[in-house]
Amino acid sequence: MRNKRMFGFELVRGAAAIAVALGVATIFIFLSSKEPLTALRYLLIGPLVSIKGGVASFNTQGFYNILAAMIPTIFTGLAVCVMFANNQFNLAGEGIVMVGGFVAALAGIYLHMNTGWHAVVCVLIAAVIGGLIMLIPALLKVRLGASEMVTSLMLNYVCMYLVLHFLNYNFADRSKGSTQTYAFADTARIGSLVPGGSKLSWGFVVALVFVVIIALFMYRTRWGYAIRMIGINEAFSKYSGMKVGGTIVLAQVVGGALSGMGGGIEVLGRYTTFLWKELPGYGWTGVTIAILAKNNPLLVPLAAFFIAYLNKGCQLMATYSDVPSEMIDIIQAAIFLFFAAEQFLAGYRQKIVVKNTRADLAKVAANAEGGAE
Amino acid sequence: MEQNDPLKHDIVVQMKGITKVYPNGIAANQGVDFSVRRGEIHALMGENGAGKSTLMKILFGLEQPTGGEILVNGEKVSFASPTAAITHGIGMVHQHFMLVPSLTVAENIVLGMVPRKSGMFIDFKKATELTNEYAERFNLAVNPIAKVVDIPVGMKQKVEILKALIRGAKILILDEPTAVLTTQETAELFRELVHLKEQGYTIIFISHKLNEIKQITDRLTIMRGGKSMGVYETASISEQEISRLMVGRDVILDVQKGAPTPTDVVLRVRGLEYTNEWNKKMLDGVSFDVRKGEILGVAGVEGNGQRELVDMLFDLKEPHAGTASVNGTDVINASQARIRAMGVSLVPEDRMTYGIAEAATIEENIISDRFEEKRFNHGPLFNMKAIRAESDRLIKDYTVLCKSRKQKVKMLSGGNIQKVVVAREFSSDPTLIIADQPTRGIDVGATEFIRKKLVDLSRAGAAVLLVSADLNEVMELSDSLIVLYGGKIAAYFEDTSQLDDLVMGEYMLGLKRQSDEEIGRVCHEK
Repeated sequence: MRNKRMFGFELVRGAAAIAVALGVATIFIFLSSKEPLTALRYLLIGPLVSIKGGVASFNTQGFYNILAAMIPTIFTGLAVCVMFANNQFNLAGEGIVMVGGFVAALAGIYLHMNTGWHAVVCVLIAAVIGGLIMLIPALLKVRLGASEMVTSLMLNYVCMYLVLHFLNYNFADRSKGSTQTYAFADTARIGSLVPGGSKLSWGFVVALVFVVIIALFMYRTRWGYAIRMIGINEAFSKYSGMKVGGTIVLAQVVGGALSGMGGGIEVLGRYTTFLWKELPGYGWTGVTIAILAKNNPLLVPLAAFFIAYLNKGCQLMATYSDVPSEMIDIIQAAIFLFFAAEQFLAGYRQKIVVKNTRADLAKVAANAEGGAE
Repeated sequence: MEQNDPLKHDIVVQMKGITKVYPNGIAANQGVDFSVRRGEIHALMGENGAGKSTLMKILFGLEQPTGGEILVNGEKVSFASPTAAITHGIGMVHQHFMLVPSLTVAENIVLGMVPRKSGMFIDFKKATELTNEYAERFNLAVNPIAKVVDIPVGMKQKVEILKALIRGAKILILDEPTAVLTTQETAELFRELVHLKEQGYTIIFISHKLNEIKQITDRLTIMRGGKSMGVYETASISEQEISRLMVGRDVILDVQKGAPTPTDVVLRVRGLEYTNEWNKKMLDGVSFDVRKGEILGVAGVEGNGQRELVDMLFDLKEPHAGTASVNGTDVINASQARIRAMGVSLVPEDRMTYGIAEAATIEENIISDRFEEKRFNHGPLFNMKAIRAESDRLIKDYTVLCKSRKQKVKMLSGGNIQKVVVAREFSSDPTLIIADQPTRGIDVGATEFIRKKLVDLSRAGAAVLLVSADLNEVMELSDSLIVLYGGKIAAYFEDTSQLDDLVMGEYMLGLKRQSDEEIGRVCHEK
């Protein structure tokens, strides 16, 4: 009874945060647009409903595109979940996605293997490299007490410029007009999940499998347990005899491996060459997703879907109306704010608590009377 | 003025139907009525967890009531913060002192209302004068230029009282003021309180010690389970009656325990020394042994090295000199994991920091020291069945009152939280149990249960080191005990059954110290 009420409260709270954020967005759209209703229509229903000649129909390709956009962000979302659950505010996922994509692309170009295995090996290499890079902020934290937030944030730029350096000077395909690598071998490509040349690759299935794996890892293994307990109370974990330092490193290495994997799968599934010239932004989105999902791996796909939908809506709005695509930042920031704010609707929460407690007390009193008779 | 209604005029504080539900769902106050007359010493009594502190926190503006109203001097008030309460003449002295250790007494007293020179510099001279003036007026002797870190607990309390008085408090709330004091310091405090009362001040005295209440209070309000059990004239109610109202049943105060049969030394501590960050020597050559099958108590006024001693034994701090070993294996340089592997358990003093992870479930808290054991794992995965069975068994054995093992620990009451800690620490078949304030702040039922378990474990062959600021507890439970004063062992009593608390008080206060030979007997060297 109590848990049901509290769970209901969390749902209401989440919905309210989204509603308030969209409300804020609506205000800005009305302020900045000459055609606010059109803009809103594209933002809210555009991603899935296409309207042609007054007839609304389900946009299947649009749906596939949203799912495709979820692939890298599910991985980065999971990575951030693991690290945040360990109370490690590590933000290096962003740079590692880029390195992962680059490394996977190189493996796709220069390794020669059979179909099937090639892509798997490429992605695994990306994961290993991602995990190794994460050792830097993790060991700095554990050995020297350096804030992982600062070091990981800086590390993103180190990653990016290293990739750009090697891309420019060592691996660029000079025959092309823009800076990009050679095309990877067909064997390394990750195939499309649906017919029709959609970007929705098998990577989506892999991402969902990893949602389950990470959920099991976090809630059904001794390592995940230690990661979570250290995140809740480090002093308690140390006193209980857990290997705190090692576990902090492990959480970040797992986070790095997931990020690297996400980058590799994204590059091999979406493109034919590596052509990122700046940080792709999936790492940041991963942070948003982890916060929306409250660090629960099983909620990551939902959060990723929501963000992908919103992104698509904003893109459409920017394309077909006069509202700039930067609007998405305002909406995301507003959602962020209300989700992260512990005290949002705290008064309402307190009312539920009081009600629950009164009900419990009444029950106790009733039992006592019943016992006396 | 309502001069024709002397009774109403007489009431300085009136709280009507106060209800408080905390965010974790605990209803600490359920419709409590409470009123205090001007110029009386009014006791607010009740067991730990009865809701006394909550009620007073509401009066002092630290907590907001869920329901009910408060009248001060007949005027309806609502305090959003202690600042608001202070402007209405209410002051509070907390159980744990709110002082800055590195500042002087005078600086602490004027903190937040600092006298200034030329509008900019702190006027230390004036602060000292102000302190002296108030100290004299209220007969509360303090040394204004001493640093708070250096002064004894009794004086810290006077500083707290002065702080409240200087801010214009006419109504003083004292939260268990004697909990940390020796018998002698308590007597001194009572003289000062009576002096304040004679000058027209009103004092609300939170306590659960019957003899003190009888000694100095005029009236008393008894609370139980978040409700008021009524107001009584102190002179017209017997201690038995108060006890019955407080607890609702007859409490067996003395624990039944057979004679100890101590054998081999388990914990051996030699020459432990520790100097804290304010360069104060907290431990100064402490040596003792704890044997299998005995409970060695560590008594002493808080802050005389008890915490440092425990921290050192469990690798929470490194000593500057000395050794400690369990069954011959060094524990000073061992990690907690290794110390636990040696069979050492710790019931930590600060249970909310070390003892539990609040936001985790009961189950997750119970397995924190054993989740890596083979029996709880199937290859890489947890054996959820074994984990469930273990937590359900311990919840049952230790009578943890909860909805299920999946309940978050922060939703439990203090006593049940401690039972979770104890369930884990006592169930790992320990050879040495370090119990640091094992029953502080928890209800009678849980206290009795935990004390009984400790005795049972020691009689079953565990060595127990019991650190407690509760004199009754340490004297009743221990087979033998040491008194810590100023980081040194001041006394060793081989047999606690004949001990008298006045004698204990003298050692705890540093008035007396046994000879080195007498103290040396606690080291059972062959």
